[in-house]
Amino acid sequence: MDEKMTPEESLFLITKVIEETKQRFKENGHIIILWGALMFIVFVSQYILVLSGLYKLFDIAWTCILFPLGGIYSFIYVWKKHKKNNLPRTIIGKIIETMGWVVGINLMILGFLFRNKLGDAVAPVFLILLALFFILTGISIKFKPVIIGGILLNLMGFAAFYINGQYHGLIMAAGAVISMIIPGILLNRANKNEHV
Amino acid sequence: MNMFKDLDPILHSQLRLSIVSILMTVDEANFTFIKETTKAAAGNISIQIKKLQDAGYVKIEKTFKNNYPNTTVSITSKGIKAFEDYVKNLKKYINPQK
Repeated sequence: MDEKMTPEESLFLITKVIEETKQRFKENGHIIILWGALMFIVFVSQYILVLSGLYKLFDIAWTCILFPLGGIYSFIYVWKKHKKNNLPRTIIGKIIETMGWVVGINLMILGFLFRNKLGDAVAPVFLILLALFFILTGISIKFKPVIIGGILLNLMGFAAFYINGQYHGLIMAAGAVISMIIPGILLNRANKNEHV
Repeated sequence: MNMFKDLDPILHSQLRLSIVSILMTVDEANFTFIKETTKAAAGNISIQIKKLQDAGYVKIEKTFKNNYPNTTVSITSKGIKAFEDYVKNLKKYINPQK
């Protein structure tokens, strides 16, 4: 049976197997939407807390509880998904995962330890670093809305240098919607459509 | 059959070609993943993986995961080169003038 395989059939088989393998790794945007929602809640609430004068009381509670909870949930979700589907590791997956950890840890360090040194530059630096992550992720998974979201976030980061610091919370929340929630929903929809 | 004499006989087999195509997409794959993707019988997969290993195209690692045997297969640089040459030759057959 094998000997009868024509070159066309061989090429078709290679394409089919590679496509099927890739299909099993398709990300459904769940984690991106989750982090977008977390960022949106944290930064909008921070903005409201600043306006109401309660910022010092609740700021740490939000960032210290919600972000680590998001981190734990993401770790368990990815681990379970791989275990359940027997998924092997891919180079792209490894790159995105490593970038996520590196960018995430750097953002935490900047936010907690260097906030005073950076002053009003915290938000722009945060947005620019996050934008780099999304641009590179979008290119890796070949999904335009994530790339566009990343580019817009990058531009918002530079624009934030010219905007009064008291509005930075709102810019970060808008950034979460543009670069995470919307591309995440589109990724989810694209993934669902492919399975129909 | 003679017509395809430039095509690597190790790769010019449905199941072996499927296994190598999977391994070109991932870093390494365990036996279960290969079985689920190719939908072939476990015994047949074992035989074909062994043939690929004998040709030096794949590397097999046997470990234990939660007290169960876990076989991991990855492609070698020789395997990558053979696959690339195989695809190049396929294209020659399909578009002889190129």
